[in-house]
Amino acid sequence: MTSNRKAVAGLAIVGIFIVVALLAPIIAPSGPNQRVAKPHEPPSAEHVLGSTRMGRDVLAQTIHGTRTSLLVGFVAGLVVTVVGVAVGVTSGYFGGRIDELLNLVTNVVLVIPNLPLMLVLAAFVGEAGPMTIAVIIGMTAWGWGARVTRAQTLSLRQRDYILASEMLGEPAWRIILVELLPNLVSIIGFNFIGSVLYALITEATLEFLGLGDPLALSWGTNLYHAQETSALRVGAWWEIAAPCLALVVFGSSLSLINFAVDEIANPRLRTLRVPKRILAAIMPVGAAE
Amino acid sequence: MVFLLRRFGFYVAAFICAATFNFLIPRLMPGNPIDTMFAQSGTALPPESLEALKKTFGFLDVPLPIQYLHYLASVFTWDLGLSVKFYPLTVNQVLVRALPWTLLLVLTSSFAAFAIGSLAGARAAWRRGGSFDSFGAPAALMLQAIPPLVTSLLALYLFAISLKWLPTGFAWDPMLDLTWSWESVWSVLYHAILPVVTMAMAQIGGYLVTMRNSMINLLGEDYITLGMAKGLTDRRLRLVYAAYNALLPALTSFAMSLGAVFGGSLVTEVVFNYPGLGYTLYQGITSRDYPLIQGQLLIMTLAMLSANFIADLLYIIVDPRLRRA
Repeated sequence: MTSNRKAVAGLAIVGIFIVVALLAPIIAPSGPNQRVAKPHEPPSAEHVLGSTRMGRDVLAQTIHGTRTSLLVGFVAGLVVTVVGVAVGVTSGYFGGRIDELLNLVTNVVLVIPNLPLMLVLAAFVGEAGPMTIAVIIGMTAWGWGARVTRAQTLSLRQRDYILASEMLGEPAWRIILVELLPNLVSIIGFNFIGSVLYALITEATLEFLGLGDPLALSWGTNLYHAQETSALRVGAWWEIAAPCLALVVFGSSLSLINFAVDEIANPRLRTLRVPKRILAAIMPVGAAE
Repeated sequence: MVFLLRRFGFYVAAFICAATFNFLIPRLMPGNPIDTMFAQSGTALPPESLEALKKTFGFLDVPLPIQYLHYLASVFTWDLGLSVKFYPLTVNQVLVRALPWTLLLVLTSSFAAFAIGSLAGARAAWRRGGSFDSFGAPAALMLQAIPPLVTSLLALYLFAISLKWLPTGFAWDPMLDLTWSWESVWSVLYHAILPVVTMAMAQIGGYLVTMRNSMINLLGEDYITLGMAKGLTDRRLRLVYAAYNALLPALTSFAMSLGAVFGGSLVTEVVFNYPGLGYTLYQGITSRDYPLIQGQLLIMTLAMLSANFIADLLYIIVDPRLRRA
């Protein structure tokens, strides 16, 4: 993985974000909710990203918001992956009735639109806290992971080494944990990273729509408060720009990692780094540039 | 035919599931479901409307299974109750009023993104490792990582508020009476530009990558090599031989992503004050109008299922093997 430049860049950025989240109280010691400036002050040397309507420092708010946003992203991503893998592997390995039932449930979950369902759930919970949002995302978004894992399990199940383990009388749980799961690692990793990205965006969306706990501090609630105080319409672009930028940079780095995982797991997709002359010689006419 | 019937049966089951969620969620929450659900309605609705609303949602003095049947009966007769926020309108009327605007955004942006993304993906796969591919594929992936929320806010600030090229909100000029005149149509199109473009941006990347990957896998097939050996033109080989067959996974992702597009349109509409389902829903959320929030889940599920059914029909056209199944 270290030889892949996309993976290295992606992991580095994600690492920086995690460090910022962990060290938030040290990097921005004044705290996110203190009034330290006049309302809607543009970026200056003192307040690098300006201030909010309430006179809070946007940079401090974004840094502290990183903690909740990342936590929700990773927790929800974990829930999505665990449920998806559990359903997919059970379904693919045991087959028969169990498979039929689980596959039906998966298809139903896939076909019911996620965001509207989450809106209903969150609306009834009322001012859902960050962890509630993580659970809601986790429960509604596992369909895709389950489908992909099931497909891969089905194909692995026919391999000789699995059949051999069965002949030896290994218990099913051991075959699944020791023989099957290690061969699903790339799919599980891909699923996890994609789910974290999805959870991050969805959390921000739910909170922006006013379904989150307004007292929680995350990129989503920052955007919500900015929208509530019409930051854009009075020209305070920095209040919107900071959480947006954080979302985009963190999201893209996750995307980079996933692109790399895909290339490593599926060599056909790899972009060849071969000089064009050689490429033209080995590739059929017309395919090389 | 059997294939279609089976799919149809599945869609009915899925729809019942969505309705079941609606039925169960208020009843599973702590506290009295009637109180939670109609807390906002007490002052807004006259008592007889409140009674009718309770009846629609099955809050009757009968055992739970009977309540459930009552609710299903309401749903299948498309009686979704009264909207609290927009009283005296029914949820149905509110949704029907908003649906065309959302459909306009969703359909225009999806088709545009599908066409552009698939063509670009085919091109990237054809010259794999070429300049278009090494720039296009990662760029598309980056684009996909940008949430619709961010693109909408950015576009709103840049093109509507700062540059003032495009309107900041609404679906048409409020000074205008909406009729089938050129002026109205122009106004509607003019107001749709920003929402449609931002929604399409979020989708292009996905189609590009799907098409690229599926085409790369196809290009190794023998019939492509045979086509080259026969001396077919590049263009014919790329579009008719490879791209057409690579479309199947792209179609699946088209149907599957439609749910996400509807979700994305919720956000885009809120940012642009666009009077579709999303914005209506937003108004419902801020006033805790539960019948409306539940109604939109049903209507969006229905939209999603219809899209899947259309995709099934398209499969049959694209893949003749399914006609025999």
